[in-house]
Amino acid sequence: MFQTDPMSHSDKQIPQAGHSPREVHRPTVLELRNVSCAYGTDQPAITGISFSAQEGEIVCLLGPSGCGKTTTLRAIAGFEPVTAGEIRLEGRLVSTPGQLVPTEQRRIGMVFQEYALFPHLRVRDNVAFGLRHLSGDERASQVRLMLEMVGLTGLAARYPHELSGGQQQRVALARALVQKPVVLLLDEPFSNLDPDMAGKMREDLHDLLRQTKTTAILVTHDHDEAFAMADQIAVLNNGRLEQLDTPESIYHTPSTPFVADFVGQADFIPGTIENGTVHTEIGTFPNQAGYRIGTRVVVMIRPDDIHIVPVEKSFAHIVARRFHGSENLYTIGLPSGQVVHGSEPSTTVYPVGTPVELQVNATHTVLFEQDRGTPP
Amino acid sequence: MNQYHFQPSASVRSWLPLLAAAVLLFALVVPAAAAEPERLVVYSGRAERLIKPVLDSFQDKTGIQVDLLSSGTTELVNRLQAEGARTPADVFITNDAGSLEHARRLELLHPLKMREIDRAIPAQFRASDNSWVGLSGRFWIVVYNTAQVKPGDITSILDLADPRWKDKIAIPNSGSEYLQAGVSVIKATVGDDRTKQFLAGLKENAGTQVYGKSSQIVEAIAKGQAAVGVVNHYYIYRHLAAHPGAPIAALMPDQQEGGIGAIMNVAGVGVIRHTRHLDSAKLLVEFLVAQAGQKMFAELNKEYPLHPEVKADPALIERKTFRAALVPLARLAELREATMTLIEQAGLR
Amino acid sequence: MNQAAAVRRSLPDSLSLVALTVAGLLCLPLAYVAHMALTADATIWSRLWNTRIPELLFNTTALALGVAAGTLVLGVSLAWLVSRRDFPGRRVWEWALVLPLAMPTYVLAYIYSHLLGAGGPVESAWQLLAGPDGRIPSPHSYGGATLVMTLDTFPFVYLLARAAFLNLNVSYEEVARACGVSRLGTLLRITLPLMRPAIVAGLSLVVLYVVSDFGAVSLLRYQTLTYAVYQQMTGRYDPTAASILSLLLVIAALIFLVAERWFRRRSRFFQTTGRYRTPARRQCGPLGATLATIYTTGVFALSFGVPACMLAMWSVAAVSSGALDDRFIGFVWNSVFLSGLAASVAVFIGLPLAYLANRRPSRLNLLCLQAAYAGYALPGPVAALAILAIVSHLAPIWYGTVAVLVIAYVVHFLPAGLQSMEPALQQVTPNLEEASRSLGLNTAATLRRVTLPLVRGGFIAAWVLMFLQSMKELPATLLLRPVGFDTLAVRVWLEASEEYYQLAAPSALLIVIMTIPAILLLLSKDWRAA
Repeated sequence: MFQTDPMSHSDKQIPQAGHSPREVHRPTVLELRNVSCAYGTDQPAITGISFSAQEGEIVCLLGPSGCGKTTTLRAIAGFEPVTAGEIRLEGRLVSTPGQLVPTEQRRIGMVFQEYALFPHLRVRDNVAFGLRHLSGDERASQVRLMLEMVGLTGLAARYPHELSGGQQQRVALARALVQKPVVLLLDEPFSNLDPDMAGKMREDLHDLLRQTKTTAILVTHDHDEAFAMADQIAVLNNGRLEQLDTPESIYHTPSTPFVADFVGQADFIPGTIENGTVHTEIGTFPNQAGYRIGTRVVVMIRPDDIHIVPVEKSFAHIVARRFHGSENLYTIGLPSGQVVHGSEPSTTVYPVGTPVELQVNATHTVLFEQDRGTPP
Repeated sequence: MNQYHFQPSASVRSWLPLLAAAVLLFALVVPAAAAEPERLVVYSGRAERLIKPVLDSFQDKTGIQVDLLSSGTTELVNRLQAEGARTPADVFITNDAGSLEHARRLELLHPLKMREIDRAIPAQFRASDNSWVGLSGRFWIVVYNTAQVKPGDITSILDLADPRWKDKIAIPNSGSEYLQAGVSVIKATVGDDRTKQFLAGLKENAGTQVYGKSSQIVEAIAKGQAAVGVVNHYYIYRHLAAHPGAPIAALMPDQQEGGIGAIMNVAGVGVIRHTRHLDSAKLLVEFLVAQAGQKMFAELNKEYPLHPEVKADPALIERKTFRAALVPLARLAELREATMTLIEQAGLR
Repeated sequence: MNQAAAVRRSLPDSLSLVALTVAGLLCLPLAYVAHMALTADATIWSRLWNTRIPELLFNTTALALGVAAGTLVLGVSLAWLVSRRDFPGRRVWEWALVLPLAMPTYVLAYIYSHLLGAGGPVESAWQLLAGPDGRIPSPHSYGGATLVMTLDTFPFVYLLARAAFLNLNVSYEEVARACGVSRLGTLLRITLPLMRPAIVAGLSLVVLYVVSDFGAVSLLRYQTLTYAVYQQMTGRYDPTAASILSLLLVIAALIFLVAERWFRRRSRFFQTTGRYRTPARRQCGPLGATLATIYTTGVFALSFGVPACMLAMWSVAAVSSGALDDRFIGFVWNSVFLSGLAASVAVFIGLPLAYLANRRPSRLNLLCLQAAYAGYALPGPVAALAILAIVSHLAPIWYGTVAVLVIAYVVHFLPAGLQSMEPALQQVTPNLEEASRSLGLNTAATLRRVTLPLVRGGFIAAWVLMFLQSMKELPATLLLRPVGFDTLAVRVWLEASEEYYQLAAPSALLIVIMTIPAILLLLSKDWRAA
C-alpha cells in the first residue's frame, strides 16, 4: 500500500554513504518477487514482499516482532513454502507456489538467534558439519582457516556449552561461512549478547562479510543495528514491506509514519496547507510533497532537527530533560498540549520550566497526510 | 509481616500429607492385629478350584469362617517358616507329601492324636505322629497318542529315555513338584547313576517339548506333536472330558515283577503348630478324612480317595489293579534337595 | 523473625534426615540378600556356577539387548511418525500406541502362548498354506520372549522419544539443512543424537523392566536370572541359591544404572534457550499414508488390539457361564486400594530424595538417591522374602498386613517414580526458588507455593506410573498378600496357572481397563501435541 513514494526521494540534501556497493553494478544474488506466505490457510504471514540483494550486499529486514521479517527469512531458506510470488537465488527459481527446492540444496548459510550449535559436537565438528563432501585433510584445513578468521583458534576441541555467548556466536558464524554460502541469513544474531559484546560483534561481522564478500540478509528489530550493518534496509510491518532504501534515506525520509516512528524518535506536528506552505504550531514548512490547499497534514520532525534557545517569555516550556551521555534530550510542551523533542549537546543544560524558542532545521521535513494516521 | 506469622504453620502444613499417610498405614495395621473369634486360615498349595468347594461345605456345616490363601507349595512352606510363631495360618493343605514331611521336620506342624484319622487313613499315607495326613492319591501315568504308540511299547517309565523316542516325548519343566517327587522315587529305587542316565535321555528326547503345564502335555499328545508324555493321572480325564474321542490313552508303567511301581504322591493336610484355633483346625481335619469329605475332596479332581471305604471315580483305572512304588512318602522330603541337584545337573529346563 | 530463621535452618537438616532414613530402609532388603548370598556355602556358589550362572547371564543379557533393540526401533520410528508426519488417524494412533502399557507382560505372554503355540490359530492358518505339517517357530523361545517383551515395553521409548521429537529446538535441524544436509542425514546426525538422553532414559526403563520381569519369561519358559530366582524360591526350601542369583542380578543392574547415570550426566546438554517452535508435521502422500497406517495399525494390533479382543471374548464366555461372583468386587477394591496407597507413599518418600539430590547434590544426598534405585533391580520374589524376614524382626506387628505389601511395592517401584520426579525437579531452576525466598517465603513455604505447583505434573506422572506398576505386580503380591487379600493380578495368575484362561480373562481385562484412565491422565499431563 505504501510503496516507496517517489516524491519523498526528490532533490534532497541527504548525506549518502560514501562507497555503497550498490553504486557498482554487481550480479543479483537474491531476488524476491511479490512473495506471500501464510500460516494455515487464511492467516497471511507476509504479503507481496519484493526486494533483491546484489553480491556482497548486506540487507537488513527491520520491523517489530510479528511483522513477518523472520518468516521472510525462513521463506528464503526454504523452511516456509510461499503461497504467491517467487524467490530466486543466483537466478535459479527456488520457491514458487507448489514448488520448493529443499533447504539443503539452496547453498545458504544460517545463523540463529540462539546459535543452535549442536551440543553433542565439538567446535571443530560443528564447523565441519556441512563439509562432508570434502576429504578429511581439506575439511580440517578449512575449519582451521575459518576458526582463525573468526578468532577462535585454540577452542576447536571445546564443546558449545564451554564457550561464552560471543564465542558461541562466532562458531555459528564460522559454521555458516565455511560453506561459502550464496547468501548468509542471520536471524537476530546479536539479541542474546550484552550490548558491549553486541557492538563489537557487529563490527567484526561487518568486516568479515566485506572480507569474504558474502551477501547477507540480517533480521533485526533494532534500528541501530540495521543502520550499522546494512547497505539496504527493508522495513516490514504487518507482513508488508513499508520501505526499502539505504539506511540514510530510511532515517531521514521515511515513506510512512510507521517507518518514521520505528527507526528513531520522531514527533508528528499537525498542520494545514495554506498558500503553498505548511502552517503548524511551531512555524511554517515548505509543502515539498505538493499537497492541495486545505489538506490537513502532519510534519515529522526528529529531535536533532530542533534547536532550542532559552528566551524571556515563550509559549513553549521545557517539560523534561533526559541525559543520554552524548546529548541531552529535551521534551518541550506547546500551548496546545502537543510535545516535541529536541536534542542539544550534553553540555547544554537548561532547567525544567525554562521558556524556550524552537528553531527548526527544515531542510528535509517530511509530510504525511493526517488521515493516514500517525503512530501513537 | 503477616507472612512471618504464618510460617511455622505453613511448614507443618506441607508435611501434613506425610503424617496422614503414616496414620493411614497405622490404621491399616491395627484391625489386622486384633484377634477374631471363630475363623480358620488355610494355606493351600492346591489349586483353589480343587479345595474351595470343600472348605465352603465345611463352613456351611460348622459355621466356622474359612479364609483361604492359595499359593505355591514350597512358597507356603517358606512363608510358614519365616512367619514362625506369628503365622496367621491354622491349617496347611497341599499336593505334595514331600513338602508336608518337610514342614513336619521344620516343626511347623502340630502332631494329632485323633481316632478319626487312624480309622480313616491307612498309616502309609500319613506321618508317624499324624502331623500331616494324606487325603487323596495321585499317580504318574504315561499318556500316549493311540495312533502312534501301542500300549506294549512302554512298560517302564525308564523306557522314555530310549533313543527311539527322540523328539517324541513331552515332559514337564523342572520346577514342577510332581516331576521332582517322581524323580525322587526313581532315584530311591534305581540309584543315582541310572537316574542321571534317565534324565539325560529324557532331556535329549524331549528337545524343545518342555511344558509348564500338564494339560499342555496332554494337548500336545492329543494333537500328535508328541507321542508320549508323563503327567499326573487326572489330566487325561480332564482332557477327555473336554474333547471326547481324543486319540489319547493312559498306561500305568512299571507294574512288572520287581519294577519301580506306580509313582505316587498324595495331597494332604496338616495343622500348624502355632495355631490359636486348634479345636477348629481339628474339626476341619476330621471333616476331610470322613467319608463325605473324602468323597468330595477326591471327586473334585478325579483323584484316588485314601479312605479304604470310599470308592474312586469309576472312570479311573481300578486302584486294586496296580501296584504303587515302595518308597515311603515321608522319604520324599529328604530326597528332594539331592533330586533337585540331579535335575539341575542334567540340565532340564 | 528468629523463629523463621530457625525453621529455615533446621528444616533442610530434618529433610536430610528423612532422606537418609528412607534410603536406609530402602536398602535393607538389598543388604539382607547380599548378606545371605555372601555368607552362603562355597559349594552352593560353585554348584550354581557350574550348572546355571553362565547360561542365565547370557540369556538375560541377550533378552535385554534384543528387547532394547526392538523397542528402540519400534519406539523411535513410531514416535517419529506421529510427531513429524501427518496421516489420517494420526491423532488416534498417537495416544493409542501407549495402551500396551496397560497390558501386563504375563497376560500378553499367555495370549501369545495361545496364539503362536502348537495348534494355535496362527499355526492353523499357516497350515492352510503350507500343508498339514507346517510348523511355526515356538513362542517358548528367545524369539517369543523378545517379541512379547518388545511389544509390551516399546511405549516407554515411544513416549519419551515422542516428547523429545516435539520439544526439540527445530533450529538445530534447520541449521543442519542449511549446511546442505538432507532430511535423512539431519535425522541421523542431529535429531537422533540430540534425543539420546530421552532414548536412553526410555531404554533404561525397558531394560530394567525386562530384567526384573517374571511373568512373561515364566510363561514362555525362557530362563533368565529373575525366572531362575523365582524357580529357586518356589522349588527349594533354601533361599540361599536364590539370593546368590539375586545378588548377581542386582550387581548387573547396578552396573547398568551407573553406566546410564554416567551417560546422562555426560550428555546433559546446556541447551541455549531459544524461541520455541513446534516442528512442522509433513503431510504424507497416499502411499506414505497407507504405509504409515499399516505400520501403526499393525504394531497396535499386535501389542494391544488383538490381545484385548481375545480377553474380551474370553471374558464374555466366562461371565455368561456365571463364573463371576461378588468376590470379584472385593478383588477390584483390593487392587485399587493397594496400588493407590503404595503410589502415594512412594511419592512422599521419593520427594525428599529427589529434591535433595537435585538441589544440594552432596555426596551423601546423591548416594541416598542412588540407594532408592537399588530396589528396582531386586526381583519381586527376593524383595518379598527379604522384606518378610526384615519386617518379622523389626516390626512384627505389621506382619501379614497390607503394610508389608506396600513396603515391597515402594521398594520395587520407587525408581520408576523417581525417573519422572527427577526431571520435574530439574525443570525448576533454583532462580525461581531464590526469587521466592527473596519475597519473604521460607524454605517450606517456597516448597509449597513454588516448587510443588511447578513439579506437580511430574509427580502426578510418577504417581500414575507407580500405580500402574503396582496394579500389575505379581510375584511379590503372591508372596506377601495378607490372607483373604487377593488382587486382580493374583486372580489372573491363579486361574491362568491352572489353565483356566477364560476364568483369568475377566480379571486381566479389568486390570487393562482400569489402567487405561490412569494412562490417559499420564498423557494429558504430558501431552504437548501441537
